[in-house]
Amino acid sequence: MVEKEGKDTSHLYDGKSVRSSAPSRKKAAGRVTQSISIPKDAIPETNVPTWVESFFGGPLVPSVRFLSPNKTVVRLQTASITVLLLLGLVTFVITPASGTAWFWLANLLGVPFFSGLIHYLLLIGGLVTGAYGILQRDQRMILISQVAIILVTIRFAGSKVEFAMDSLDISSEFIQKLMLIFYATFLVMYIELSSGVIRFSMLDTSIRTREVYVMGQENIVQRYNRSLATTPIIAAFVALVTLLINVIIPALIGIFDEVSSNRLSESVELTSVYGVALGTAMVFGIIAISFTINLPARIQKFQERRAN
Amino acid sequence: MFASLAIGLYLLGLVLRNQQLVTVAVVLLSFLTYAAFRTSHADVASSGRRLEENKSDEGIQLGGISALRKVSSSRVFEDGEIDVVLRIQNRTPLPKIIEVRDRVPEVMRIKKGANYVLMELGGRRETEISYTIEAPLRGFYTIGPVCVRVQDTFGLFHNEREIQLYDDFLVFPKMEDIKDAMIKSKVPKIFTGAVNIRNPGEGSNFYNLREYIPGDPMKKVNWNATARSGGKMMVNEYERDAVSDIILIVDSRAISETGPVSRNSLVYSTRAAASLAQHFLSRRDSVGLVTYGDEIISVDRDTGKKQLYVILTKLAGAVAKGNTPLRIVTNRLMPHINRGSPIIIMSPLEDDPTIIDAVRDLRARNFMVTILSPSSIEFEFDARRLDSVGYELLKTERDILMSEIRGLGANVMDWEPDMMLVTALAGARGY
Repeated sequence: MVEKEGKDTSHLYDGKSVRSSAPSRKKAAGRVTQSISIPKDAIPETNVPTWVESFFGGPLVPSVRFLSPNKTVVRLQTASITVLLLLGLVTFVITPASGTAWFWLANLLGVPFFSGLIHYLLLIGGLVTGAYGILQRDQRMILISQVAIILVTIRFAGSKVEFAMDSLDISSEFIQKLMLIFYATFLVMYIELSSGVIRFSMLDTSIRTREVYVMGQENIVQRYNRSLATTPIIAAFVALVTLLINVIIPALIGIFDEVSSNRLSESVELTSVYGVALGTAMVFGIIAISFTINLPARIQKFQERRAN
Repeated sequence: MFASLAIGLYLLGLVLRNQQLVTVAVVLLSFLTYAAFRTSHADVASSGRRLEENKSDEGIQLGGISALRKVSSSRVFEDGEIDVVLRIQNRTPLPKIIEVRDRVPEVMRIKKGANYVLMELGGRRETEISYTIEAPLRGFYTIGPVCVRVQDTFGLFHNEREIQLYDDFLVFPKMEDIKDAMIKSKVPKIFTGAVNIRNPGEGSNFYNLREYIPGDPMKKVNWNATARSGGKMMVNEYERDAVSDIILIVDSRAISETGPVSRNSLVYSTRAAASLAQHFLSRRDSVGLVTYGDEIISVDRDTGKKQLYVILTKLAGAVAKGNTPLRIVTNRLMPHINRGSPIIIMSPLEDDPTIIDAVRDLRARNFMVTILSPSSIEFEFDARRLDSVGYELLKTERDILMSEIRGLGANVMDWEPDMMLVTALAGARGY
């Protein structure tokens, strides 16, 4: 006799199909209820990230309800708004409307003042939504503000550093680049501080809802404050080195050959955006080497040995 | 996100020849690089029980953070609590800001304290995290591993390691006191079990001699002993024939888990089996257990507290799986148990066409069959997974099946979700 597999139990009882009660009451229920689909609560909840979330490594806007802000959050909110205002001011000074998409569109339509209008509306909009987002701890508004402020700077510049306020008449290349670094540092600080507001609000809410317990909270906040002070300075310094590569390379070459150094310092390519790209490649090449040789771990080891 | 933004701005800056965008990108990249540079100071290594796994780590990561855990108990009953103390040590001389999450099973509830701690741990310091978990469902569980994370201060990068430190514990099914729900064998016991009870009572085996008390029947008087005792009237005492072989059969087929996780037939059946086992064993009866799902697991009849823990452990590990028919179980079981022994079956009585035949076989051999049937229809209906028409139809079919089983002489109880076990048992016995 061939043994059958599956739900039929006849193979267990000499080929007889054993059936003494209504066989499939579940099936009958399925027919009667007109739905044989799996109950919703029987399926575990899964959160499949969208391609946007996958690209950015997480949800862009976490939907968390926060409790009222604590002292640290209020301090961060104040710092964020201050930096946002400074960023707005610097952006206003150094970013002209020329070269932007709306500049082109306004000229095409024959209403050139529209470009300035859109330009400053974007900037003001970015500031207002940013301030609102920070105060309300609404990440959607913060994101809109960041996009608006970055959008203002997206323009074809032709490798020239141009300022919106011609009256400033800054001709020194060093000061020009310093202004750019100020702008970039304020922008990065704004991004960091605004996300810090959200992060510390989340942490504070988790602490107060007893989801997480924090030991030595003061020290953790102090460390964050210290990092907020040191990291932008270091980032700005690295950026300055990168931007001044057209000065640094000729100076280095000048040690061996003064003529070549002069030629290099007058090189249009080196002073243009491609020079900056070269500088970036060089600086970050050095950084990459330091990571390759595991420099952070070696520094750690050295610090430990010194502490011992 | 920052990295994507930086690269995007950098490329856009090069295309548009915009130094402003490139500068932003460079500052952003520098910012990220510095944060990454600091994060790779993360120095987390494993320790604890599975120390050998550390060997795969190299260099300075061998030192660092280690964890040790103490658990108050490795065996609790459902709704019981376990206190966990986790000791975190920083063996390096440098202070670290770390996040520690001790992973607890999803069904457990944190009752006191927290298993997720953010802390600043000084160099060569240690600290203790303590929390209490509540175990609402029976089963085998594991606490661990311990996840330790070192982040940069901006939360942009992190280094995470799992410390392979595990503690296993067992959650036994909850028990009810069922003193009043007595189920006794109808015939005197043949097999006395592992323990000789030695309790005086109405039985057939001689137990002891004692002095006559007014009211003792004259047939109990031992005249020889009376003659030897010098005038005192002595009577015989007999061992009580109250010891039974109780067989508990728990249906752990896949269908027995129909319903919500905490309210389904298997949960109820295991609780009932645990309560019954405890009751009978406390009476010094001999209790055996059979669970059937994808395979038949049995615990031989025995007495005593040790047997209770053996049964509880098996019940804790019962998993809803497979579809073994009841008749296979009874066919295998019957040759090994004494005729007339009480058999208590805990089953939703669903999707098994052999139930009637199995009960008929048992009754034909004079076994006293009691069926406690937690109704999965009720569980489904309560969870609003079943509409009223479907419910009525299933209920009617179930009632017909139960009547049929009752007709064979078995005591059957339709155990509704809100009914206490004692009530259900009293109903099953019919008095």
